Amino acid sequence: MSKIMTVDVLSSIKGAQPSEAVNKLFEVIKNANPSNTNTFNNKRNNGVSLNELRDDVVIESSAVEKQIILENFPKQKHGYLVVSKVIEE
Amino acid sequence: MDSQIHKIHQQLVNKEISCTALVQEKLDLLKQNTNHTVNSLLDSLALDLAAKVDTKIAKGETIGLLEGIPFGIKDVYMVQGTYTTASSNLLKNYKSAYTATAIQKLLDAGAIPIVKENCDSFGHGSSSENTIFGAVKNAIDPNLVGGGSSGGSAVNVAKDYTVFSIGGDTGGSVRQPAGYNKVYGLKPTYGRISRYGLMAYASSTDCVGPIAKSLEDIRIVLNVMSGKDIKDQTTYVSEPISEASLSSSQDIKTVGYFKNFIESEAIDAQVKADFLASIDKIKAKGIEVKALDFFESETLVSTYYTLAMAETASNLSRLDGTNYGNRIEAENLKETYAVTRSENFSEETKRRIVGGNQVLSQGFADEIYLKALAIRDQISGNFETDFNEVDVIISPVTPSTPPKIGNSLKDPLAMYLSDAYTVGFSLGQLPTLTVPQGTTTGLQITAAKDKDELVLKFANFLKDTI
Repeated sequence: MSKIMTVDVLSSIKGAQPSEAVNKLFEVIKNANPSNTNTFNNKRNNGVSLNELRDDVVIESSAVEKQIILENFPKQKHGYLVVSKVIEE
Repeated sequence: MDSQIHKIHQQLVNKEISCTALVQEKLDLLKQNTNHTVNSLLDSLALDLAAKVDTKIAKGETIGLLEGIPFGIKDVYMVQGTYTTASSNLLKNYKSAYTATAIQKLLDAGAIPIVKENCDSFGHGSSSENTIFGAVKNAIDPNLVGGGSSGGSAVNVAKDYTVFSIGGDTGGSVRQPAGYNKVYGLKPTYGRISRYGLMAYASSTDCVGPIAKSLEDIRIVLNVMSGKDIKDQTTYVSEPISEASLSSSQDIKTVGYFKNFIESEAIDAQVKADFLASIDKIKAKGIEVKALDFFESETLVSTYYTLAMAETASNLSRLDGTNYGNRIEAENLKETYAVTRSENFSEETKRRIVGGNQVLSQGFADEIYLKALAIRDQISGNFETDFNEVDVIISPVTPSTPPKIGNSLKDPLAMYLSDAYTVGFSLGQLPTLTVPQGTTTGLQITAAKDKDELVLKFANFLKDTI
């Protein structure tokens, strides 16, 4: 995909523009010279070892949990979630 | 040791007060309060739980230490069946379907949740003004901000509306409001407490953090909430911290502080003088104090905000009004997303989402995002070296005193820079505690990863030293 997407499209926020205050922070990073550019070292490695991965099991939600999820649906028809008309591009 | 929890526990056991009367008193205080600390009161849930505690006591059954103790919860934690708004328009009618692990552990211990507390929307702010519930007013001077983002929580503790509160700290959001309202606030080591059920802001630094009036209460609540959780795989197994261990500080021989924090032009003259006076008092106790080199404030703040914005842009992309949230219909799905987000997010939240998408987009990721990650590694490396030389690091919590309400959101860059002393420790994922001593907005104590006990020990030592 070579289409250039502007930040308002990327953010799904109408009319969004980059902010001057935030750009000033980014300028500091652009001008910095970190001695180490290997971003995959293990200083902030919060990864989980394969042995510690949890079991891949389906856990049934409780009745009250399901009820609240339904209550949070913005639109509902005959018990089903209704979404806006889907677009195709 | 001084402890509100122990004191109330004893009063309940001795039948000097009933749990129902205690909870009702706190609910009344919260209802009448003019500091804008409340997003919703959990009155019927709290009173039901209080009645059960009273029944137990009446039957002569033993109650646990936290049983019947009323506490507050920052409105970014899931508590099943309660509104969880993140102080935002988008989620103003959202109900939690489940309960956060940290909160569930407190409920299992018998503590009683009484309030969902006001904060900056999605944690985006340093003043608790970025909220649909009205700016939180400082507990000491209501013309000043309550601090943020866990402002409502810190003010409730300071005002005795809650015995303790659970805030969330991503870049200082527990420590700074604790400092602004002169109470204790802990950001534990990243991963010590499960983040499951804490609404994600920046997942690589988000921490659950207790706020309380005494060190002992921080210790009690920390112990209950800590532990490995299969639902948050960044959690680890930690040892409980005993009350007795805090009374000895013999293993703290060397304390460090960052020279450039104190030599900065941005620091308030009084904060600087008070901090240096505290250093002198520590030296007078025979502890060696070392001045350390550290990154410039601008670099720390820029690194933190670059990464936090990237993470929040990603985390908040799910908020589009489809499965939940305040959906605003438009002509098609894509437009519905855009209108829902544009109308419901605050200006500050939009600023951070847009910033995050900027740095994650093609052409900018290498130049900004990946570089910020590399700087973060250097910061962590710097801490590792420092903790070979010193046992703990102390710093002021903020460069200046709390701003007046109405000023922070007008100048976002100044607000970001006011986090200069807190964000570095977040990037390092280090345990850091605010103590209400040393400067007008307190002191931070930091130790190496998983040395939360050492932080509490030194805080206990400081109680009688400065």
